[in-house]
Amino acid sequence: MTSADTNRATGKGPLFYVGLMAAAYAAVAALAITGAVEGPAIYMLVIAPFGLVFPMMAAANRRIDAGGAGCIGKGEAQRRYMKRVAMFSSLYLVVLGVMTFVLKSSEPHFAIRSILALLPGLAVIGIFWAVGRLIVEEQDEFLRMLVIRQSLIATGFALSAATVWGFLETADVVFHLEAYWWAVAWFFGLGVGAAANRVQYGTWGAV
Amino acid sequence: MKNRLKVLRAERSWSQQDLADRLAVSRQSVNAIETGKYDPSLPLAFKLADVFELAIEDIFERD
Repeated sequence: MTSADTNRATGKGPLFYVGLMAAAYAAVAALAITGAVEGPAIYMLVIAPFGLVFPMMAAANRRIDAGGAGCIGKGEAQRRYMKRVAMFSSLYLVVLGVMTFVLKSSEPHFAIRSILALLPGLAVIGIFWAVGRLIVEEQDEFLRMLVIRQSLIATGFALSAATVWGFLETADVVFHLEAYWWAVAWFFGLGVGAAANRVQYGTWGAV
Repeated sequence: MKNRLKVLRAERSWSQQDLADRLAVSRQSVNAIETGKYDPSLPLAFKLADVFELAIEDIFERD
């Protein structure tokens, strides 16, 4: 079955919803940058497009059931992985919104600030945990190898970028970057890993 | 590692998906093994041998 056949058989693919979400976030960013919306309204607008995660998951599940394109096999482990990622990503957006709102609108006590600041990090740790569980639960050894390879490439990418940036920062060549951006670099590295899988094994991988 | 999966499948008129279903793996796994991009573990090689009712060395050859 070709990718086009699979699309016809299963309706809109998950990438369609990812594209919609990216477009919605681009629109929200444009509104925020131009000052068209301000304050709490921005947080509401940031959370709203995330609702597209659910049709995206449904589309990905249909793709799994159809055994279609991408590196998707029997899929139970991948289905659980997607649910966990959607759950922790939703949690991340909510706690990030709450943290930003509370910190900007009041001056909470040190303990409250600490707890609020820990929550988004814990949600991101949840996503790392989901990748780890996928590696443990995936029964298909080839798919498991692809996820491990992708994660190793992402880790190498993020650590290399952090090390190089750190020294450049020490030498005052680049501006200061908050450490949570290295998690973002790791997620970007997963994309690099997927491309490497595609080149070497002809398939993108499962993450 | 070289293998005879494509020939063995063709003799039985199995698609890659048919073989994947018999092995309980993804079609991508069968494709990667068949094209020599991925060498299966010993347990999966034994499973392949069972599915084709052959010995492992009748399916895989040394490079």
